[in-house]
Amino acid sequence: MNAKIQVLLCKCCSEVPELLNIAKLEKLASESGNVLSVMTLDALCDGKELAMVVAEARIKEIDRAVVLACQKKDVSPALIKAYKRVGVNEHLVQIVNIREEVVLPHAAEQERAQAKAQTMLLSALARSRLLQPLERSSEDMKTRNVVIVGGGVAGQAAAKEAAKYGVHTIILEKTGKSVTAPGVVMPHATLIGGKGYGGNFELKIRVGESLEDLGAASVVIASGGGWSTLKGALAKAVRGAMPLYEFHQKLHAEQTSAGTVVFMDTPDPAGKTLKVQDYAWDETLETAIELKRKHPETAVYVIFQEMRASGLSELAYKEAAELGVKFVRYDRSATPKVDPKDPTTLSVKDLTQGDELKIRLGTMVFASIPASPDNQIIAEALRIPMSVDGAIRRGSIQRGPVSTPKPGVFVCGSALFPKSREVAAAEGQAAGKLAGEFAARGSIEFGGIVAQVTQEKCSACLTCVRTCPYEAPFIGTASKAEIRVQACQGCGMCVGICPSKAIELHNYTDDQIMTESKTLLGGDF
Amino acid sequence: MIVAKRKPLNEIAEMLAPYKKVTVIGCRSCVAICLAGGEKEVKMLVSALKVKNKRDGRKQHIEGTVVERQCEKEWVQEIEAQILDSDVTLSMACSLGAQTIGDMYPKHLTFPGLNTGMFGVPEEQGVWSEKCVGCGNCIIHTTGGICPIARCAKSMLNGPCGGSANRKCEVNLEVDCAWAAIYDRLKLQNRLDLIESVTPAKDWSTSHSGGRRVFEREDAKLTPHQKKGKGVT
Ligand code: SF4
Ligand code: SF4
Ligand code: SF4
Repeated sequence: MNAKIQVLLCKCCSEVPELLNIAKLEKLASESGNVLSVMTLDALCDGKELAMVVAEARIKEIDRAVVLACQKKDVSPALIKAYKRVGVNEHLVQIVNIREEVVLPHAAEQERAQAKAQTMLLSALARSRLLQPLERSSEDMKTRNVVIVGGGVAGQAAAKEAAKYGVHTIILEKTGKSVTAPGVVMPHATLIGGKGYGGNFELKIRVGESLEDLGAASVVIASGGGWSTLKGALAKAVRGAMPLYEFHQKLHAEQTSAGTVVFMDTPDPAGKTLKVQDYAWDETLETAIELKRKHPETAVYVIFQEMRASGLSELAYKEAAELGVKFVRYDRSATPKVDPKDPTTLSVKDLTQGDELKIRLGTMVFASIPASPDNQIIAEALRIPMSVDGAIRRGSIQRGPVSTPKPGVFVCGSALFPKSREVAAAEGQAAGKLAGEFAARGSIEFGGIVAQVTQEKCSACLTCVRTCPYEAPFIGTASKAEIRVQACQGCGMCVGICPSKAIELHNYTDDQIMTESKTLLGGDF
Repeated sequence: MIVAKRKPLNEIAEMLAPYKKVTVIGCRSCVAICLAGGEKEVKMLVSALKVKNKRDGRKQHIEGTVVERQCEKEWVQEIEAQILDSDVTLSMACSLGAQTIGDMYPKHLTFPGLNTGMFGVPEEQGVWSEKCVGCGNCIIHTTGGICPIARCAKSMLNGPCGGSANRKCEVNLEVDCAWAAIYDRLKLQNRLDLIESVTPAKDWSTSHSGGRRVFEREDAKLTPHQKKGKGVT
């Protein structure tokens, strides 16, 4: 097949021509093989020029495109849709983000910027020639069930919101407590296992003494965290110990008691310290600062083994120290102790100074506390990852605060980390909305950029089966690996790890990637 | 399966340094599955060597390929031309593969790219552990299915020794005591009497110490007549 490429150069509202020599790029593109059309546009994102682009594409019988633009979310969907109308497969439209990769980082280096833009154009063209059109297929969902694990505030809010989409909500409540929510509420019910993928889950649940199967289009985890029970020798010994979120609420309500406040990482039952999620350090620092601002006279200590604040929160160390917060680092071999005979004194060996400190305790605040073991059962049943302290892990705090990495599985409330009822309810609402909307679609789309096994090369080593986070690969009847395309998210992990190089990801084949990289880096390797 | 580990890049590069034309040959069986010498590892090693050569300014032609099972002559024969066309072959199979090539082409140089380690079991992704040493006289029906020869540091037949404490081995506190595991297993199976019965010294003549072992199965061997018919000598 002979590729017929159209190259679009977007001037990104005139940012690009100030730095780059567009005429040179145009010339380079038009002199490259398989390029039938080169167009320079003012601003691809406002959509006015799309008609012109596709008209040209139709005349030249274009079948693929390389677009030098920005990665703005509004560029690609409209462009891909427009191209689709003239028969250009969506997977053959490559967008090269020259705004963020060239214009912004190299604003002061015209020559380097130009050279980089040219190399990126050539490598995208090299890859484009090798791309294959890919089709997507769809499968009907067998049910409209939205299964909500947990009937607390978050679960109830999720059910209410999801029900607005005309789906069937089913709450699995572990206890026999009364739950007010639309749809079905199953008391004494827990999730214990399952298989399937977003749209068609087959869950295993325990209701009282019996085991049942339950189909689900989407799932909301609202199981709470079991965070409120402080365990561990230290916590037991100390009166007035509380988790961070509780202290935070008290501080807001002006209900904190006088006396020294000690923030500490997690005490676990074995006396060792659990790893603490990053958010907990951010919040610890913020809370310590807030406390010091409100009550400068209060002595405040932050005791830790290993502390990691994220991003700009690092500045909070300095701010807290300037306000008089004392930081004490201890070693895991010498965990801080409270004398059982004198539960008001905490002794801790300061790793930096080597001294044994004795602190008179007012309030002891734990940054993070072990989550409920229920979380692990749920995570295993749905094959979703957990965070270091045993909570459910969300996809990404910016892009999916109530999503898990698995499509169709959402999470809210204290299953993520301890929080107030109001925040839990708000998250429940958000998760319910997404889960309801997901189930109401009625069908799932899949395919496109997914993995494929070349069975003659497969050694049936099970590596892909063990590695895939979505359980897409399985060993089929031919005793070779196969990919369940409905479940495959195209992450490429199996491709990278397959020892026999039997798996390829559509449109990210070795050949395509190597050709692209060789043009980018120059040379053979 | 046979579990192996790739040799460090520098050691391999040094071995190959004097030669102009190198063929790297992987194996798609055990060593592929233990992520040491399958097609992926071959390709990665070839790339790494090329990058290193470029950096060190060395001119060397390197090619990589894989065969189904390098310990079987028939599979190796399929790439005979490629082997003989090179100055040296780097085998990315276990030493069985390397020696098969070496025995087939005795004048040709065949070097090992892997360190062959053990008979191991994948405990989880990326973790293999030794469970058998191939002593030739299996006794695990009397030890709860756990091999003390492979899994006890002292290969004791009557254990545990006095150094077993808290289920760990005195030789290395990170290692589980095999005899503690045997005790637990036998208890689970209600066969604790076995731990009290004394096992006499084992017949070690089946083990490696007598030199190279060869197993033969008369019923599977071809008759001289059959061999002749197939042109095999
Ligand atoms: S990882 Fe590769 S060789 Fe192993 S089972 Fe999967 S496809 Fe087959
Ligand atoms: S590409 Fe990712 S999601 Fe798809 S099968 Fe491979 S590991 Fe699983
Ligand atoms: S401690 Fe256990 S494993 Fe270690 S040598 Fe003794 S019996 Fe063997």
